[in-house]
Order: sequence, then C-alpha cells, then structure tokens
Amino acid sequence: MYDAIFIEEHDTPTATFTFEHFQNDAMSAASSRGMPVVKIVPEAIVSECTVEETIDNAITAVFDDMVGALTKSLTADEKSPKPRESGNSPRIVFKGNLEEVNRFFYQRGWTDGLPVIPPTEEAVAEMLTGTGLPADHLVEKLEPRLGKATIEMIAINAVMAGCLPTYMPLLIAGVQALADNPVCGMMAASTGSFSPFWLINGPVAKDAGIRSTYGATNPGDIANASIGRALGLITKNGRGVRKQIEDMGVLGNPGKYSWVAAEDEENSPWEPFHVEQGFKKEDSAITLMFPQSFQQMMPFGTDDKGILATIVGSIFPARMGSFAVLLTPTNAASIAKGGWSKKAVKDYIVENTIVPDDYYSRLGLKSDGPFDRGNVNGPGFGPKVFHRTPRDQDPARVFVFGGFGSWMGFIQGGPPPITKKIELPKNWSELVKKYKNVVPTYVRY
Amino acid sequence: MSADKAGASYEVLSPWAEADPKQLKGLSPRLDDLAGKKIGLLCNNKRAAPLILDVTERLLKEKYPTAKISRFNSRSFSVSALEPDRKQEFEDWIKGVDAVVASVGD
Repeated sequence: MYDAIFIEEHDTPTATFTFEHFQNDAMSAASSRGMPVVKIVPEAIVSECTVEETIDNAITAVFDDMVGALTKSLTADEKSPKPRESGNSPRIVFKGNLEEVNRFFYQRGWTDGLPVIPPTEEAVAEMLTGTGLPADHLVEKLEPRLGKATIEMIAINAVMAGCLPTYMPLLIAGVQALADNPVCGMMAASTGSFSPFWLINGPVAKDAGIRSTYGATNPGDIANASIGRALGLITKNGRGVRKQIEDMGVLGNPGKYSWVAAEDEENSPWEPFHVEQGFKKEDSAITLMFPQSFQQMMPFGTDDKGILATIVGSIFPARMGSFAVLLTPTNAASIAKGGWSKKAVKDYIVENTIVPDDYYSRLGLKSDGPFDRGNVNGPGFGPKVFHRTPRDQDPARVFVFGGFGSWMGFIQGGPPPITKKIELPKNWSELVKKYKNVVPTYVRY
Repeated sequence: MSADKAGASYEVLSPWAEADPKQLKGLSPRLDDLAGKKIGLLCNNKRAAPLILDVTERLLKEKYPTAKISRFNSRSFSVSALEPDRKQEFEDWIKGVDAVVASVGD
C-alpha cells in the first residue's frame, strides 16, 4: 500500500488489487502512512498464485470495481479523512488478579497466547534496573504502526515475557535491529512466516546465561526462552503486527515464540560471527535473521569432506533468502582440522552448491522466473544456487553452537543478518552477580 | 476489587506502544472516465503481480481501446519504501500517467 499512497500523494488516482483476506493488513498499512481511505480492490487471488485461469477469472470479476475506484466521485471522508481513534491506551491499563490480568491482556491481543507475568509498576521498575537509560527514552519507532519502543515499553513487555533485568541491554539492541531495515517489518507480516532468529555473541552471553551448548534453541532456559519471547511481544505491541490482521503468515512458524542461541565461541575454531560483522571480539552483539525454515541433517561422514558434502548436497534450489549453516563445535572442529578457515567454508558452499543440469527439465518446469527474488536462482539463472549480489555479498554464513554431536542444520530466509552492539550499563557486574544464580537445578532420579 | 486466592491484585501497565497521531491525507481527484487516458500499471516483484496486470491490460484494451498503457516494474515489494535509488524514475513515471492500477501480488 506504500506505493499506492506515494502515488496518491503525487495527485494521481490509484487502485490496488488486494487478495480479499488481506484487507485488514492493507488498511493497517495505509493507516500507518496516514491514508486510511486508500482505494483497494479486493479480489480472490491467493498470494503467490501462478494459475493463469484463476487470475483471469478473479480479475475479470472485479474489473468494474477497479474502474469505479479510479472514477467514482470521492466521499467527503475520502477527500479529507476525519481523525481516527488513536488506538493508544492509558499507562495504567487494568487492575485485577493474575487470571483477570491474563484474560484482559489476551483479549486485547497483547500476548502470544501463553500466560504473562503482570507488568506492575514494581516489576517494571526492577526491569528498568537493567539499563542506565531513562524510561521515556525512545529507542525506535517500529513500522508499520510506528509504535514507540521506549525503554519503559520494552521493560513492560520484558516483564510479561519473564525476562530478568540482565536481558534489557539485549532487548534494546534487539529493538534497534528490528528497526534497522524496512524489510524487517515486512518479514513480521509476510505470508512466508519468517521468524526472528537471534544469535548472541560476546561476553554478555555468559553473563546473562544464554545457552550455546546442548539444545541451545530448545525450551528450558529462561534467557533463551524469554528474550525471543519479549522481542516477539514487542513486535506485536510496538509494530502492531498481529496474527491474521497484519501478520499474514500462512503456515506460521514456532520460532516466533522464541528462537535464541548464543554462539559457542569458546569451542569454535573460528572467529565469532560478530567479528565477521565488524565488531571486536570483546564486544557483545545481537544478530537478527528471519529464517522461515529450519532443517537438520546427519552428515554423510563426520570428517570435513563428509560435512561439507552434506551441506552442498542438501540445499534445495527452491530455497529463499539468507542462508546459515548451523554447526556444532564437533562439526566445526572436524572441518577446521582439515585446514578450512570459516571463509574457505563459506566460499566452498557458494561455489559448489550446484543444481544438476537436468534438474528443472526432469521436473517439467518451463518457467524461467526466479525461485528466490533476492538471491536469484531458478530455471534460467545458471547452475549455482548462491550468488553474491549487491543485496548480499556473503550469501552463506556459518554459526557454531549446540552440543557435542554430529547433527547439523540450516536456517534459511529473509534479508542478510543485522548485527547490533549491545551496550551494557555501568552497574552491569552488580546486575550479573544479582541474577546469575537464577538457573534450574534438576533433581537426579 | 477482585483478588486471587492469595489475595494478590495487580495494577498493570499497558504493553501497547503509544503512537503519535497521524496527519491524515485524502485521495487525489478521480477521473471522469478511463477512455483516452494513460493508465499506469504498477507491478511489484511478487509473482502473481505481473499475471494480474496482464489480465488487467487485456481488459483495459478491450473496454477502453483509446486508453494507453504504461508499466512500471518494481524490483521489490515496494518501490517507494525499498528502492530509494529509483525514486526519481518512479516520480517521473507517475507524472506521465493519469491513473495507476497497482498489483502487489497479495
């Protein structure tokens, strides 16, 4: 809708065909840009449809609506829209017991469906001890709604998610990452169900207890579970991206609950990811990717040749977006033992991930269109799956985390990774000391 | 006032971010008729978009044979939001048409 508004602002009438299920999404986008009356023409073509007969019938059915959108006289509200309700809510929004608070928040659409911790003044004040920034400090406005992610708003959502105050610096940097690229807002709303994946590097990972080893992305660790959850709530309550209103993810993605890991820098043979991104090793950083898929594989063999062959042999041409291979420290050590630097591994993946000559013809594909709009591959684009493009000069990444084992994985989708430095408050060592013992102690049986 | 079994009651802050009120903008005047006009067809990079506009162009030519058609193809989901290097090209194209039909493929 942004282009339609841009065109209307240039004194030119515009009508935009929109799948009928996407009217709420379209109108939210239009309202966020100050033109809630923009003309959409609902049609019955599902996203990404390629069936010409379906499209022909659907557009023929609404052709007159399109003509009307360009020629019918405007109403007074369309010429000069009346102010809409702000949608803002009072700071103190409710009073009740635990169940009532949860019911109220859920019914407002402010949760991820799981129970939340009530964000009382006291709980939020404790959360604010995790940053030296004032509560009213504006970190970012998050598109499309342009909700103000202030320090207090971040802290409120952090309380709800179950965070400890030591996570505040990560959440602030995470919000900066969410606002870094306008594509991030689109990822949150996309039919492709892209989920934020957060990789943590630097000393903050140990200080805040972010898991990098066995089951790093499994449930069970307060940091890994609540940091991603808080940033998901901030996406909902700051961006204003709600399921089937603005978030039109078709299949959905469980990663949207929380998908967080620290890189195992201690056991990786290579430089940490944030160093590749231009930061110092002693810096702490948070990296954001938007994969839509997560695939795990047992390598053909556990030496360097076996692992690398598994990587290039398991990447399917119809993949989309950025790519990262997830290696356990065991896998990384095996590859490094064969003399491979991380750069050499990445170059190998880019150069050797090849589509067999007869791949498309065997499938009966005649289209010469790309599978992946960003990292162009598909029929007619040559044998290589990965290409270095202006959008992404480094299309294959390597992250090292997980337990000592041979399983390996891919995450794929979305724009290139965004990395932000995590700024720690002056009282960081005291904070770490105060909360470091919040760890599970499992009973032996 | 309600309280849970332990007697606890919680006065809670809103997690919903405040947003500044927006200056609302109205639509530009509509055309009297499409006949004889130059109609722009704006296509983003979603794959249904060009197919939708192919049908639109065919129908426009059938029903408004004196109308002229001009296409603009975005490389992304949105020219104005994601292609700052093409802003002038996009503005020049808009100036050259009387109305635009956009397809975003969703």
